[in-house]
Amino acid sequence: MLILKNISKKLGEFRLNDIGLEISDGTYYVLLGRSGSGKTQLLELIAGLTSPDSGEIWLNGENITNKKIQDRNIGLVFQDYAIFPNMTVFGNIAYSMNSGKNGKHRIKERVTSIAAELNISHLLGRNIHHLSGGELQRVALARTLITSPRLLLLDEPMASIDASLKDEIKRLLRRLNRQGLTIIHVTHDYREAVSLATRVGVIHSGKIIQEGDPETVFRKPVNKFVARYSGFRNFFRVKFINENSAWKALCNEKLIFNMSEKSYPHEGLLILRSDDIRISPENTSCPTDNCFKGIVREILPSEYGVEITVDAGETFYVDISADTFKQQPYNELSEVWISFPPEACIVLQGSN
Amino acid sequence: MNRYGPFSWILLILSSLVLLFLVAPLLGMFIHTGVKDFFITAGDKEVQASIWLTVWVSFAATFFFATAAVPFAWLLARKSFPLKSVVQGIIDLPVVLPHTAAGIALLGFISRDGLLGKAAAAVGFQLVNNPAGIALAMAFVSLPFLINSARDGFAAVPERLEKAALNLGASRSRVFFTISLPLAWRSIITGFVMMFARGMSEFGAVVIIAYHPMIAPVLIYDRFSSFGLNYARPAAVLFIVVALVVFTILRLLSESRKTAVTKNEYADS
Repeated sequence: MLILKNISKKLGEFRLNDIGLEISDGTYYVLLGRSGSGKTQLLELIAGLTSPDSGEIWLNGENITNKKIQDRNIGLVFQDYAIFPNMTVFGNIAYSMNSGKNGKHRIKERVTSIAAELNISHLLGRNIHHLSGGELQRVALARTLITSPRLLLLDEPMASIDASLKDEIKRLLRRLNRQGLTIIHVTHDYREAVSLATRVGVIHSGKIIQEGDPETVFRKPVNKFVARYSGFRNFFRVKFINENSAWKALCNEKLIFNMSEKSYPHEGLLILRSDDIRISPENTSCPTDNCFKGIVREILPSEYGVEITVDAGETFYVDISADTFKQQPYNELSEVWISFPPEACIVLQGSN
Repeated sequence: MNRYGPFSWILLILSSLVLLFLVAPLLGMFIHTGVKDFFITAGDKEVQASIWLTVWVSFAATFFFATAAVPFAWLLARKSFPLKSVVQGIIDLPVVLPHTAAGIALLGFISRDGLLGKAAAAVGFQLVNNPAGIALAMAFVSLPFLINSARDGFAAVPERLEKAALNLGASRSRVFFTISLPLAWRSIITGFVMMFARGMSEFGAVVIIAYHPMIAPVLIYDRFSSFGLNYARPAAVLFIVVALVVFTILRLLSESRKTAVTKNEYADS
């Protein structure tokens, strides 16, 4: 288990502030945050490339705060992989074994085995100069995994590879995690967390602002920042009113949302996932749903299919699949109905 | 249509004048040196000895000091420490000092009364009028070229490559020899050639430390002051030819090394 106790570190104007974390063995922990939020600095602290100003780092019951980087046995894969350009792929992977302690035969055996595991056997004799992003990443992973690390730290592992290779890398990382390797993966993309994480943390300005299992973090973000980072696109500042024992949310005196919970504060921020909103040319929703008539303002292709911007007094972003759009195409300025159940409405209290 | 405007023509004329200024004296010297005189001088044992002395002493000085200067350059590239800018200023000092003044300063240090001179004398060794003294004088004025070039080379090596090597369990010294040094090699070789070249051409500091044995620049001066221009010119031409051959070979060697390193580097590093 990795435990960070009140870690603080000042780096120029930036400061990692009182970071506390507990990550159990076998966890796939995804740390979400925008660039400059301190995620890479946190990884470097755990790996031992830098030391904290205060706080402690414990790994498997041992205080490793002041332990030398070479003795920590924590693998770190850099965002741009940091492959040594003066060595071949074989030389890179064998680097940790080439300190004179291992025989040539042993080194060759280990490198061949790990290369086969990562599907890069055919690259071993190659210069790294002409490798693709995906290949470089596999080399970097092989180079780290050959050390049998107690913990694997990944800094934005999907940032420099083609979209087509991401699924392959995700499968590989999932497999490594299933084999028992604890992984900490930092990224700015919540979709990586959705598909990989068993636990998620959101870091902002050097502080972890929410942490938990993915379901909780993505369904119940604690504030607007986390909500944005969890993929929410629809935000409405609302006032809550109770009418005949039924709670409703009033947005800018224009829209009224039916709500599902039994009590609400005076006001708050109502958030909605784009893919929780249904869209149709006619009103087909059930009576308890929130249903609004609107006009299509913009249609843009998105990673999942199509994002439709609807003006229904307030702007709504609706995500539908490419297949759905093919079956029922919409045009800009056409009239549509959007609907969503009250349960899809999530409230962030007093959030900015 | 004229592709070049007046500004381009002005640039061309100014550049040509600068080039002419650099080339004309050398060309004139070559033209005024008879082939017969050139070959007689080339066969002169004293001239041969002085050129050989210049080349090997400068090379030895560069090589010897590089073993300490290159790690020092890494330190300057990677570490922050108090008074770093002062240290950097001290390194550049020999470049701005009049070289005879540098020779005088060094003489005080290596003569029998000086700190190093006393130590050398204690083991029966004399630095003044000795190739070792000449090497010190050459190194004193030329070290900044190696240190600065190597420092720039180390600074250009992405620090994360060194961090990655540390993370893979390598010791600091292994990281230096397997990552930093090979990747900064191009700049180190360039600095090495520059220091060697500067050492070979040094006159002011060396003449204070050792008139004898004569290095080539001192011999040329000696012949000029004793016998005149016509007698000194063939020796100067010969020394220039030798220097050009040596530098061309070194350049070619470093270029081939450069190509090899470039091939190995990936875009981001």
